[in-house]
Amino acid sequence: MSDWQRLDRRMLLVHPIREVVKFLPALVALFLAGTASGGAAWHYLPVLVPIALGLLRYLTTSFRIDQGRVELRRGLLSRHVLSTPVDRVRTVDLTSPLTHRLLGLTTVRIGSGTGDDDGALDLDGLPVEVARRLRAELLREAPAAAADDPAPVVDTLRLDPRWARFAPLTSTGLVLGGGIVGLAAQGWNTVGGPRLVDLDDLADGAARASVWIAVPVVAVIVLVAMSLLAVGSYLVSNWDLTLRHSQRSWHLSRGLFTTRETTLDDVRVAGVSLGEPIGLRLAGGARLGAIVTGVDRSERGSSALVPPAPYDVVAGVAARVLGSAAPLTGPLVPHGPLAVRRRWTRALGPVLVVLLLAVVGVVADAAPAWVLVPPLLALPVAMLLAADRARSLGHALSDGRLVARSGSLTRRREVLGTDHVIGWTFRDTWFQRRAGLTTLVATTAGGRQAVTLPDVPLPVAVRLADEAIPGLVGSFAD
Amino acid sequence: MNLREPAQQVSARARWLWAGGALAQVVVAAGALVVVEWVSPLDLPWWAWVLLGVALASYVVVVPQWRYLVHRWEVTDTAVYTQTGWWARERRIAPMSRIQTVDHAEGALARLLGLATVTVTTASAAGALEIAGLDAVRARQLVDELTLKADAVEGDAT
Repeated sequence: MSDWQRLDRRMLLVHPIREVVKFLPALVALFLAGTASGGAAWHYLPVLVPIALGLLRYLTTSFRIDQGRVELRRGLLSRHVLSTPVDRVRTVDLTSPLTHRLLGLTTVRIGSGTGDDDGALDLDGLPVEVARRLRAELLREAPAAAADDPAPVVDTLRLDPRWARFAPLTSTGLVLGGGIVGLAAQGWNTVGGPRLVDLDDLADGAARASVWIAVPVVAVIVLVAMSLLAVGSYLVSNWDLTLRHSQRSWHLSRGLFTTRETTLDDVRVAGVSLGEPIGLRLAGGARLGAIVTGVDRSERGSSALVPPAPYDVVAGVAARVLGSAAPLTGPLVPHGPLAVRRRWTRALGPVLVVLLLAVVGVVADAAPAWVLVPPLLALPVAMLLAADRARSLGHALSDGRLVARSGSLTRRREVLGTDHVIGWTFRDTWFQRRAGLTTLVATTAGGRQAVTLPDVPLPVAVRLADEAIPGLVGSFAD
Repeated sequence: MNLREPAQQVSARARWLWAGGALAQVVVAAGALVVVEWVSPLDLPWWAWVLLGVALASYVVVVPQWRYLVHRWEVTDTAVYTQTGWWARERRIAPMSRIQTVDHAEGALARLLGLATVTVTTASAAGALEIAGLDAVRARQLVDELTLKADAVEGDAT
């Protein structure tokens, strides 16, 4: 592969279509102007411009792998040459939008983990087989050997479509659903929906049926619509999700229309993050992400390993990725009574202040009695929150991994290999110092860049940090 | 096991640097307040104005002093250790083998005072160690020292 070569010839079909779509508004305007002024045949000629551009794009793009570098050359007027040393390649992702899939093509994105988008190199349009071979070559995996491997590669995980029931229980699922509802409403207005269906009529009907019926009915309809959309988008993006391990890396492929294949090198998997947002937790579900070093910031989403699924499935995958179940199932050290008290004061404090103000207001006859209701209703919620947050709090050092769990509404258990910890931060406010607590943060190059352990007693935090990386914190301790 | 404070203190002139920064913030806040009062009078009682004045003044006078007492740093052969903040204190430790870059910066006010800031970054976006208010000459020496030490230890900093 040392000569410059073009991308797959089938891209000659994709590029012109793409360019025509890009120029569509201008083309429609020209076309309308043409029909208005008589409709001579030459009015259709502008269509040729994007088609020619598409052809040129194909002809002027070429790539090669030579002398240990991947190089991509493109552009007609201004030439760009993107180049990356092969031994710097950290990620090779294959993405196939629908047009590519119909033609048996895929886009290869080669990332060198530099953290900016310029570092990524896209080979748009290679046959799937060629792309897979290229990936094996770039990631220095033994090619073809896998075929006569005595132990066939077993899937660690295959998506069960029934797991889509968890989709509406996450905030992302609901936000996605809400976004689609919003878009639909906008589209409805643009298309002229209000003219077709008389909303005033509906509103009149609703008003007659009284507010007490109309509001719950509308709420239920919106909730059901958003849930259905969340389930739909879950299935679209995770359809046929397969996670398997081969040689030295994890392979994840998924997608109904656009398929994505992501490869995570074992060396770069620093740990996992098991997320249990409240909705998922109550339904017995969880989701899993990998803490991956050397991924572009913009691609952080690609480190999701398991979408919302039953807890046992997620924990099983996590144990396989870590190579041991202990960090996930093992006991956690609680942070002590003072940390628990802080959870309570922080959750109840604001509510009690508001309640006090309301009581003063009512007693002084400056406010109506119903202002007492919201803080009184918020009180039990805050108590539940405090109790749950106190229960969640914990840490451990197990099998050479730092384990931290915290939160209630978005509870997370994070497991980070201690050899991936690249620094410690001890953060404490005046209140925390008075209680002898500190927030220990282990910084790392992957995921959220840090694993946080809130309100650990200071001596415990120092000992933990010293045990995780012997000799580092110890030299500053007494 | 308890964490001791880092050994070195920053330059005493750093207090003026922080006071300057705080003064700029207070002037902006006071300006905004004056504009609001001018557009629609707030009708605050006199003691509220006094309280506000005391709070702003102590932010300029007391907080820099507090910061100066907290800000400390230490460099050993194997690690960098910094302590910053005032109300919320932050102590950061990074092993020498994980250091990626050492930055040296002098703002306009810092240059007037002969001060500089040294920032040590690691591969984590959450892990930069900043030593502000160092004597400019001392800061230069520190940058050289850190560069040498970071080179001397093995590791690819990730």
